[in-house]
Amino acid sequence: MSNDTDTVAGDRDPEETRKLVRERYGTIASDGQNCCGDVGIDTADDEGCCDGTADATGSERLGYDADDVASVAEGADLGLGCGNPKAFAEMTPGETVLDLGSGAGFDCFLAAAEVGPDGNVIGVDMTPEMVSKARENVAKNDADNVEFRLGEISHLPVADATIDVVISNCVVNLAPEKRRVFDDAYRVLKPGGRVAISDVVQTAPFPDDVKMDPDSLTGCVAGASTVDALEAALDSAGFEAIEIAPKDESTESISDWDADRDLDDYLVSATIEARKPAHAN
Amino acid sequence: MKESLMDVLCCPMDKSELELEVDERADDEEVLAGTLVCSECGERYPIEDGIPNLLPPDMRDDVPA
Repeated sequence: MSNDTDTVAGDRDPEETRKLVRERYGTIASDGQNCCGDVGIDTADDEGCCDGTADATGSERLGYDADDVASVAEGADLGLGCGNPKAFAEMTPGETVLDLGSGAGFDCFLAAAEVGPDGNVIGVDMTPEMVSKARENVAKNDADNVEFRLGEISHLPVADATIDVVISNCVVNLAPEKRRVFDDAYRVLKPGGRVAISDVVQTAPFPDDVKMDPDSLTGCVAGASTVDALEAALDSAGFEAIEIAPKDESTESISDWDADRDLDDYLVSATIEARKPAHAN
Repeated sequence: MKESLMDVLCCPMDKSELELEVDERADDEEVLAGTLVCSECGERYPIEDGIPNLLPPDMRDDVPA
């Protein structure tokens, strides 16, 4: 495993970054508190990564259709994503899916319906309060094929070459060591396996106040990488067929994340896809 | 935690296999409490309320038991 440390927002060390993120998302899981309340988000709006109390309209704007929202029991969709991995992951019955940063489990339950009773979905999250909430949601959704583990996405507790699809929704930006996340995702994928990730990407340098603001990091802004940096990290991990597609239409919801700053000047949500070569060991 | 998914689990640190010690089961398949022990480094990972805690040891320590 490589020891390189990516440049992170405000040059915070990885430990500190993980601590901030866990504290923030632990609080969101426990009280449903708005995750971006402290950065001046207009809490009357209800879209995006920052709400914590998703409604159908907000989630539909992120790329879920009304059936997706209606199909999962209340409590799993905290509205913390920035896309819909299910829409482009092309999951098929019988596959094993791993969700990096599964939160309360919404994307896992959607994936469970795609892979069916012969498939499995495993959610990994480092926040105990989120994993407990997700496990409660397993019973509500009668989802026998979904499991949650407490774990950290750059130290996955998942065996080599066991996963068909790695999905993730607005989480990799929060990870201080993105290279290690992709290295570990590559390791757990079967040859020919793929990643289908929704996340934010940085389109212009962040102003210093954004870079140094801890709330900006935990609110899925300051930790975002550029498309070039993500491509380089995926390439270096060994992936092929790397496609990172920024979505123009996402700017509408991202701009709602922060009332004081114009985030769409330097942030856009994107789909990130790549494949582990079929001949890989 | 489903016992049948043991094959997909590994130690987060050295990626070696884990051995399961069961303290409490819900049924033949579901383990509610126990320990996962790394066959290589010997690190012990608790299973509580059906959730395996496979955080790296330095992160696990700040989680209230």
